[in-house]
This record gives sequence, structure tokens and C-alpha cells, in this order.
Amino acid sequence: MSDLVFFAATFVFFLVAMLYVYGCQSLKGGRDDA
Amino acid sequence: MTPNGWLQIAVFFVLLLLAARPMGLYMAQVYERKKTWLDPVLGPVERLLYRLTGVDADAEMRWTEYGAAMLVFSFASLLLTYAIERLQHAIPLWNPQHLAAVEPYLAWNTAASFTTNTNWQAYVPEQTMSYLTQMVGLATHNFWSAATGMALAIAFIRGISRRESKTLGNFWVDLTRGTLWVLLPICLVYSLALVSQGVVQNLKPYDTVKLVEPQTITAPGADGKPATTTITTQTIAQGPAASQEAIKMLGTNGGGFFNANSAHPFENPTPFSNLLQMLSIFLIPAGLCVTLGRMVGSPGHGWAVYAAMSVLWLAGVATCYWAEAQPNPLLHGVDQRVLWAGPGHSLSSGGNMEGKEVRFGIANSALFATITTDASCGAVNTMHDSLMPLGGLVALSNIHLGEIIFGGVGAGMYGMLIFVILSVFIAGLMVGRTPEYLGKKVQAFDVQMSMLYFLIFPVVILGFAAVSVLIPAGLSSLSNHGPHGLTQILYAYTSAAGNNGSAFAGLNANTHWYNVTLAITMLAGRFLMIVPMLAVAGNLASKKIVPPSLGTFPVDSTLFTALLTSVIVIVGALTFFPALSLGPVLEHLLLRAGISFS
Repeated sequence: MSDLVFFAATFVFFLVAMLYVYGCQSLKGGRDDA
Repeated sequence: MTPNGWLQIAVFFVLLLLAARPMGLYMAQVYERKKTWLDPVLGPVERLLYRLTGVDADAEMRWTEYGAAMLVFSFASLLLTYAIERLQHAIPLWNPQHLAAVEPYLAWNTAASFTTNTNWQAYVPEQTMSYLTQMVGLATHNFWSAATGMALAIAFIRGISRRESKTLGNFWVDLTRGTLWVLLPICLVYSLALVSQGVVQNLKPYDTVKLVEPQTITAPGADGKPATTTITTQTIAQGPAASQEAIKMLGTNGGGFFNANSAHPFENPTPFSNLLQMLSIFLIPAGLCVTLGRMVGSPGHGWAVYAAMSVLWLAGVATCYWAEAQPNPLLHGVDQRVLWAGPGHSLSSGGNMEGKEVRFGIANSALFATITTDASCGAVNTMHDSLMPLGGLVALSNIHLGEIIFGGVGAGMYGMLIFVILSVFIAGLMVGRTPEYLGKKVQAFDVQMSMLYFLIFPVVILGFAAVSVLIPAGLSSLSNHGPHGLTQILYAYTSAAGNNGSAFAGLNANTHWYNVTLAITMLAGRFLMIVPMLAVAGNLASKKIVPPSLGTFPVDSTLFTALLTSVIVIVGALTFFPALSLGPVLEHLLLRAGISFS
């Protein structure tokens, strides 16, 4: 049971990190930085 | 402090300086996929790996793809290590002591720890991990996490050097080349050098030997009454230590094969192995400064960054050495001065020897403690919990500055480059111009992402530390109360977030609370900081390069080094000084007043 919980926790963390990547990218949006 | 001690510190600095340039130029060759003398051997291996894994070595990645590949790789390798730990009892390979499966909380903490290059160890390795787990589960991570850090630093450097580009390179290629061309060859030679000094490398069961002098101890028995036992034998742990020791230091991982880490005579037997270990911690991070200079076309900028790192390193080692060479004011009637046995021969180096190996003495212990916390290594040859309050303050502050004083392999460089962005931005504000960094305009998005990078670090450290001092699950692990207890907790979360791994080991961290929260801290301190860093790199790569003008701030000057150093110190001090004042600073003042806590 604990193994499943830790697998799920790992999955959720990396899923959030992945979303965070695209969140940061979307923050840039239409800025004229480049 | 002794002249001999200072001489050894100076020798270390000179040797590092001599090694940095060849190392840095070699890494630039490797990552720019230029010819190296190892190509005839490693080229076919590299091509075979790409063929087996289906990697297109010529495909370039945007920063989002680069980050996603890194996250997928880390996720899979974390789960692999977790599975090996949980199944080690059932795998009939390299487990001569028949060690049981690692319990789930500890297994997750350890898997997160080694994936993030932290190597925080809430366990006694020789009593917990089979040889298989040490080699396949942990040592492989030492290579992978180090190669990942180096790849990310190179991606950031490409972000600076490329113009109007949407890509930062290929994560899989950078990971493979860093492992094959840099880490593996050095570790092969380095492991053999360590074996020559007496570091063990075998797959034998542990030895049991008869004690020359049997020991009699009295301790409470099962019925609570004092019972006397005579111990006549000792178990001596064995194992493949040298192969793990080499990458442990070179990859700034720091996880010991034995519990005593580099204070153990089988991990660090001689003064020469000690010097090698200290040099190898800084070798790649120092070399990366030269790689930076080469790849961005400004060698002077690389050396300016190297100089800022050196100034902060020197300040740390001088303070730590001075603090540890002071007599402990609570040891009344004990002669703690340097004892001389004639010109050039001291019998005692003087000062605080608690928690230190007599064979290394105070200078080499202070030097090692400073280096291991400057870099995000975390290997120890002295017990940090036994440092004097101001010595412990140095170790703690080194990590608080963001592990950028040479820093972890790769992580130190990209962390430092984020500080460079901030310094250039501040310099631009001071003169009222749009800041530029090597011809790239530093604009709103770059600064926003940099601030996100800086804020995650204190949020996880101070947040979890604050909760831990309020709840029984946090407080029950303390071995000391008062300010030292606060420092133990603060150090644990600092070490985890900085991916350092050293500890004030009086804290019992093998509890559900600490195993889970420290694992989250390690993951956040690694991956949630990498993402905004890559965002800055990707954004910089997409910019045009503007020609230098009169208002351009030169980043290869002494003024730049001074500004960069000041920004690092100010950011670190403003963020953590309140917590430090309640921990090591208060402990120092109380110690001077003769007050201590049990």
C-alpha cells in the first residue's frame, strides 16, 4: 500500500513539475522580450 | 591556526587553479561535440547507445522539451531506485549480509535524495543497503544526477551564447556525453588511485575480527537493571567502496558508502586521499567557469565568475578555520592551545577537536567542511554537528547562498549565472539603462523567472523548518535543545533544498515526518528551481545580440566580480539572517557567556 502511495506522490510531483514548465512558458506569452 | 594549516589551504587553492583550465577546455570540446582523444573508444559506444534508445543526436530541443526530457528521465530513474531498495532482499545478487528490504518511507527519501544529487542519508549504509542497491540503485544515480546537472549548465551557457535560436541542445546527447567523456574516464582512474591508498573494493561478506583489547560496557538490560557485557569481536564492513567513492566526490553527490562517510578509514584512508577528495569536489565546477568563458567567447568573464567564487570560498574557509581553532570556552581547565614539540612540529593543532579525525586535524577538517558545503557535495570528514557555532554558521551559510561557490556539478554554474543575471539587472538599474549581459538584453521575463528561482529556495527551507519547530513530530528528533536544536532542523532543510546532503547528524531524520518532508524539499530544491532557470536560458537564446556600447557593463572586470560577490552576500544575508541569528549566532553568544543546552 505504501509503495502505491509513494508511486502516486512521485507521479504527482513530476506531473506538477511538467505543468510548471508549460506554466512558465505561458507566462512569457506575447511579451516583446525577444 | 598554524602556518602549516594555512600552507595546506594555499596548496589546495593553487592545485585547483592549475586543474581548472584543462578541465574546462576539455568539457567545452565534449559538449560542443568537437574532437577529443577519447573519441576512438567512446564514439562507437555513444552511437550504439543512441541506436538502442532511438535518440536522434542531431535533433535540437526547445527549453520546454529539454526540461521535459530531464523530468521524464528523473522520474523514471527515481522509481527504479525505489524499486531496487524495496526488492533488494528478493534479488539473489550481491547481498552477502542478507539485508532486508528498505522500509517505504526511507526508500522514498533515499530515492529522491540520490535522484536530486543530494545524497541525504537517513540510514546507516552498511546496515541497510545491499551491494546491489549501492551499485545499481545509488552509484548509478551519482553519475546520472551529476551528468544531468552538467547538461543543464551547458544548456544555460548555450542560451547565453546562441543568437535568435529557439533551442538549447539535446538533453539526451548532453547527458550521454557528460557521462561517457567526463565522469566515467576520470572515475576509472580516480577509483584506482583511491584503491592504491587503501579504499576497499570487493564484494565480500563483512569480516569479524577479535579485538586486541576486549571492551566492557555497562548498559540497562531488558529488565531495566544495569547489565555488564564484554565485547570481544568487531564486525568490519566491506564492499565496493572505491568505485562509489570516486563519483561520490567528482559528481558532488556526497553519499557515503559507510555511515562515517569520508571520516571512515576505508573511504578516506590517507592525507593524499583526503587532498584528492577535496580537489575532486571542486574540479568540474571550477572547470565549468573556463567552459563558460570558452563557449560564450569571453574567457575573461569565466575567470571573473571564478574569482567571485574564490573570494567567497576563501572567506568561508578562513572563518571556519579561525572558529574551529578557538578553544571551547566551556572546557575549563583543558589546555586547548597549539602544543609545540619543537620548530615545525606541533603535537596538537589546538582548538575544537570534537567530531574531528585526529589524522586530518583542524585545518583539513575546516577546509573539507567549507568545500563540501560550498559545493553541493555533502561528503564529510568531520562531524558538522560538532563544529563550533561559528564554524557551523559557515557551513550553513555556504548552502544558504545557493550552492554557487563553485557549487554542485552544473548546478553551481547555472545557479551562479542566475545571480549574474540579477547583478547585471541591478547594475542596469543603477545607471538607468536596459541591462545587457554579453549582448543580450535582460528584460522582464528573465528577471521574473530569476526571482522565482530565488524564492523557491527559502520558501521550502523556512516553511518546513518553521512547521518542524512547532510540532512534536519535528521536535522529537532533536538531540539538543535551545539554539543548537533550531540549527539542527534548519540545517536539515537547508541541506535538502540545496541538494547538499550533509547533516547536523544529532537530528534523527529517519522518521516519517522527516523522511517525507525532506524528500519533498529535495525534489522542490532541485526541479522547481531548474524549470525557471531553463526558462531564462530559453529566453536568452531567442534574443538578438546587441553590439557593446559605452553604457554596457563589462562582465569580465574586477568591478563585476565585486558587484556579483556583493549581490550574492546581500541576497543570502537578507533571506536567512533572522533564522541564523536565532540559531548559530545566538548559540555562539550564549557559549561565550558559559550557557549551553543539553
